[in-house]
Amino acid sequence: MTRRSSHILRAGIAIAIFVAMYAGSVVLPKAQLFTLTDVLILGLFATSYNILLGYGGQLSFGHSAYFGLGAYSCALMLLHVPGIAPPLAMLGGVGVAALGGLVIGFICVRRSGAYFSMLTLAFGMLCYTAAWKWRTVTQGDDGFGAFVPAEWVFPLIGSIKTGDLAQMYRVVLVIVAVVLLVTWLLMNHTPYGNAIRSIRQNEERASFLGYDVFFAKLVNYVLASAVAGLAGSLLVISHNFVSTDVIGIDRSTEVVMMTYIGGTGWFFGPLLGSAFVVVVGDLLATVTTRWQLVMGVLFILMVMYAPKGFSGVVRYLFDRSALERRRPL
Amino acid sequence: MSAAVLQLIDVYKNFGGVEVLKSVELSIPDGEMHAIIGPNGAGKTTLTNLITGKYPLSKGQLLFRGRSIDGLKPHERSRLGIGRSFQIINVFKEMTVFENVRNAVLSRRGVRLQMLRGITRYAEVTQETREVVEMVGLSADSERLAATLPYGAQRALEIALTLALAPQLVLLDEPAAGLSAAETRDITALIRRTMVGRTLVFIEHDMEVVFALADRISVLHYGRILVQGTPDEIRANDEVRRVYLGYRDA
Repeated sequence: MTRRSSHILRAGIAIAIFVAMYAGSVVLPKAQLFTLTDVLILGLFATSYNILLGYGGQLSFGHSAYFGLGAYSCALMLLHVPGIAPPLAMLGGVGVAALGGLVIGFICVRRSGAYFSMLTLAFGMLCYTAAWKWRTVTQGDDGFGAFVPAEWVFPLIGSIKTGDLAQMYRVVLVIVAVVLLVTWLLMNHTPYGNAIRSIRQNEERASFLGYDVFFAKLVNYVLASAVAGLAGSLLVISHNFVSTDVIGIDRSTEVVMMTYIGGTGWFFGPLLGSAFVVVVGDLLATVTTRWQLVMGVLFILMVMYAPKGFSGVVRYLFDRSALERRRPL
Repeated sequence: MSAAVLQLIDVYKNFGGVEVLKSVELSIPDGEMHAIIGPNGAGKTTLTNLITGKYPLSKGQLLFRGRSIDGLKPHERSRLGIGRSFQIINVFKEMTVFENVRNAVLSRRGVRLQMLRGITRYAEVTQETREVVEMVGLSADSERLAATLPYGAQRALEIALTLALAPQLVLLDEPAAGLSAAETRDITALIRRTMVGRTLVFIEHDMEVVFALADRISVLHYGRILVQGTPDEIRANDEVRRVYLGYRDA
């Protein structure tokens, strides 16, 4: 297959999946649309995580800080700024998350390996504790809700009813699809993405070739934080509720799990991982209250027997030659 | 003497109380090919690391074209026009030969973190990368992952990465380390061919390479420069013969 026809095939598959998912909003029952919305949002969050882990080679244990910063900022703006349009509140969430990423990243990306991981864990805990203790603003673990206006009016386009799950699902689908496309182009096809991958592979050589490693890592950290902040904003808008759930350590470990299960070696791997964790988690929860135990065992099995995650398995099945070339991101 | 490209004045380097370099004086004029030789542990690689910015000096002055560069980070020195290779192969192993060289070409052209244009759309980068790959004789292996190359080809890639920066000053740390006699001849010819118009400082144990390339030689011994001179002067020097070249009749 020529390069060109493989590009067309891949674009075709992507468009087909998008159309099928869009059509799903008409066909699927409400409960499943709700689950799918979560899959998309957490898939976006996991993708933001993989910008750090898969592309940058940086294992963070505090990524929920940015999901949470985005979530709380978006929710608080909707609550306190009269008449603010939800898209503007989402942008605010992205901005605050990016700013948080800039300040915290400025400290964390100076260290590599376990030191980086520990610093991110510490800052993640700090953000969680702030959200939990600062009750006058966040109402702690009780959380607060009912801040999204019942109807958003877009000039020229029409309006969206917040209560309509199918409409909310379509909004989330379009936003996530656009952001994924842009991020994929950025990470896989620009000098920027190439520089980040090069630095992961050989930081020393990259710096002797003239790449400013610290600056590049900081930019990448801010980018990952901004996308995580968008995911957090989308979550609070679709749930119309926010609590410390969005920022806790559980959230940080969940995203590590999703990303590893889906596979760090492929841009869309974390999406698969989030679909698996959300859907299988829901199914297991109908069978047993100890579903997290089962999930944990599954995670251990994946790490032991399929360390490249689902995307590694899929590649193995469909393209053995790719596996033999052992080509990472 | 023409203006020195590189000048070291009374340079010291300590690692936790151990003096690795002591009062090193070095002045490399424009266009010179300068070899640094000496026994293992003499401080040769440390000297390279000081010049390229891996470590700061403990004392002394380090001038590049008359300007002090001590305190500048490796990427800043690289951008000024100082390129280096490594004694132990240090490339992007999971990238192809082409992508490896392209990383250097992109950087030289200042296209490092651009986000708005596809990487394949920089036609001049692609063209220049191909030229460098061809110059070092790796065109046939252009699409191979660096990790899968034979050792000799990896050595050539090391030099290609340095060359692609088009540096004014090149530091090669044992470019022929671990190569067979035939491969050594190839790499020597490659260096001679590609370093025209540049200033070269290189470390090498293989005396054939040293005598084939060097205009001048500095002998480093226990952190001090023992002797400096032309290849003929070095060959004839009794002290050098005793401490390094190891002639039995010395």
